[in-house]
Amino acid sequence: MDSHHADISENPGALAPIDVKSEQLTLRDPRAVLSLLEADQVVAAKRRTHFGRKNLSFGTKALLWALRVYVVAMLVIVFISVYQAIHAAR
Amino acid sequence: MDAPDKNPSQLACQTAHPTTESAVASAAAPELIGLVTHEDVDRARDRWEVARARWKGRTKTFGGVRLLWLLVGPGVLVFLGENDAPSMLSYSADGSRYGVGFFIPFVVLTFIMGFIVQEMTVRLGAVTHRGHAELIFDRFGKFWGFFAMGDLIFGNFLTLVTEFIGVRAGLGFFGVRPAIAVGGALVIVMAAITTGRYWTWERITLSLAIFNGLFIPAAILARPDWHAVGHAMLTWMPFPGGGRYEILLLILATIGATVTPWMLFFQQSAVVDKGMQPRDINAGRFDTLLGALLATIFAIAAILATVPLFHHGINAANFQYAQFAEALEPVIGHTGAALFALGIFEAGIVAAIAISTSSAYAFGEVMQTGHSLNRPLREAWPFYLTLFGSACAAAALVLIPRFPLEFVVLTVNVIAVLAMPPALAFLLLLVNDPEVMGEHVNGFWANVAGVTVTILLIIAGLGFGLATVFPKWLGG
Repeated sequence: MDSHHADISENPGALAPIDVKSEQLTLRDPRAVLSLLEADQVVAAKRRTHFGRKNLSFGTKALLWALRVYVVAMLVIVFISVYQAIHAAR
Repeated sequence: MDAPDKNPSQLACQTAHPTTESAVASAAAPELIGLVTHEDVDRARDRWEVARARWKGRTKTFGGVRLLWLLVGPGVLVFLGENDAPSMLSYSADGSRYGVGFFIPFVVLTFIMGFIVQEMTVRLGAVTHRGHAELIFDRFGKFWGFFAMGDLIFGNFLTLVTEFIGVRAGLGFFGVRPAIAVGGALVIVMAAITTGRYWTWERITLSLAIFNGLFIPAAILARPDWHAVGHAMLTWMPFPGGGRYEILLLILATIGATVTPWMLFFQQSAVVDKGMQPRDINAGRFDTLLGALLATIFAIAAILATVPLFHHGINAANFQYAQFAEALEPVIGHTGAALFALGIFEAGIVAAIAISTSSAYAFGEVMQTGHSLNRPLREAWPFYLTLFGSACAAAALVLIPRFPLEFVVLTVNVIAVLAMPPALAFLLLLVNDPEVMGEHVNGFWANVAGVTVTILLIIAGLGFGLATVFPKWLGG
C-alpha cells in the first residue's frame, strides 16, 4: 500500500488493484477487503492460527513464580494497612 | 458478507508467525474470500484511508499530517485515560501537601516510564494483530494466563469504581445528585459503544479526553510560581518533608497514576482493533509520545492547581475528590474550582470508557468470542455485555450507602503498582520472542529501559511493604 495501489501483485488476475487515487472505495467484493489487510489481520485467518506454547526455562518459571508470590504478599500487606488506617481514622 | 462466528474449524489450525504478506496474496486467500466479516470490511475501510493518506503525504507539503491524524488514537487515549480520577487525586495530593518541588519532575519520570512500556505494546499489536491477553494465553498457557487476567480484572474493577466516585464527586460540586451523575455517565459509556465502529468510538472518546486539559486553566488561575517550577524541574527540590511513610505511599500512588496493567492490555488491543500494521509503528510511537506529553502537562497542571492549598496551610491529608474543588474555591475562585471539578468528572468518564473497554477486549480474547468495536452488537454481544456490565456493576457500588469507597480509593493506585511487575515480565518476554515479533523484537536499550522500569517498580513496592511491616525503619 506504499505504492499507488494496494499490494495484490502476488495474486495476479484475482482483482483489479485498489486505486488509492480514487475518491470512491467499494468493499462489496471480499477480495478488495483482503487486498487491504495483511494475511494475519483477517478475522478468519486469525482464528485458525495461534502462536504455540513457549517452552519456559527454569529461570523464567522461577521469575514468574517469584513475581506471583510478591504480588500476593504485597496485596495482603496493602489490605491490612489500609484497613488499619481507616479504622484508626474513625 | 458476514461470516458466522461459530465456524472456526472451517480452516485447519496452524502456527502463527509474524508476516506482512497481503491477505489476498496469501495461500489461504481462496478460503478467506468466503469468510470476510463486517469487522474485516470496517478495518479495510480504515486501511484504505491510511493508504490514501500515505500516498497523498508523498505529494503534498503537509500531507503527513492527515496520516498522523488517522493513526493517532490508542496512545493518546491510553495516557489521557490513565490521567483518571484517582490519578488526578494523587497529583492533587502531591501539590496540596508538598507544594512545588520533587513531585513535578517525578511525574515527568513516571510518564517516561509509561512511554517506554507502552511503545512495546504498539509493536506487539501492530506485528501480531493480537491482543495482550490472547498472546499471554497462547504463549504461556492457561495457568499463567488466568493469573494475568485475575490481576487485570481485579485491578480494572476497583479502578472503575473509583472512576464513578470521581464522576459523582465532580458533578456533586455543581449540586447534581449522585444517581443522576452516575446514570448520566453510564449513558455516555453506552452511547460511545453503540456506534459499532472502532473509528467513531475512538474519535468520540478522544474528543472527551481532550477536556483533561481543563486542569490547565485551573492551574493558571492558581497563579503558579514559574520560577519555583523551573527550579524543581532542574533540582528535584525541595524534597517532601514530614512522615516518610506518607511520602512513600504518595510516591507509589503517583507511579500507579501513570503505569498500570490495564494500559498494556488496552493499547495493544486498540492498536489491533484500529488495524495498525508494522509500517505504522513509527506513527504509533508518535501517538504514544503525544499521549504521554499531553498527560504529563495535564498532570503537572493538576499539581499546580492545588499548590495554593499548601501555601494556605490547608490540611489536605484526607481530602477526596470534591473536597479539593470545595477547598480551592475561596483560594483560586469559583471558576478555577469549577474547572477542577469538571476535570475530575471528565477524568472519571473517559477512564470508565477506556478501562471497561480494556476488560471487554481481554475477556473476548480469552473466551475467543468477537472482541472488536467494529462488530455490531448482535455479533459480539458478550463483548459489549462485559464492557457495559462491568461499568454498571462499578456504578452500582458507588451508589450503595456506606460502601467503603474510601478503602477502594486508597488502595487502587497502590495495587496497580504492585500488579505491574508480573505484567511487565510477560510484556518483556513477549516482545523479546522472535517467534512472535520477528524483526521487531526489543533492541538492547529497549530491554535495559524495560528491565529498569520493572526493577524500579519492584523496589518501590518492596519499600512500601517493608515500611508497612516495619514502620520503625522509617521513623514511623
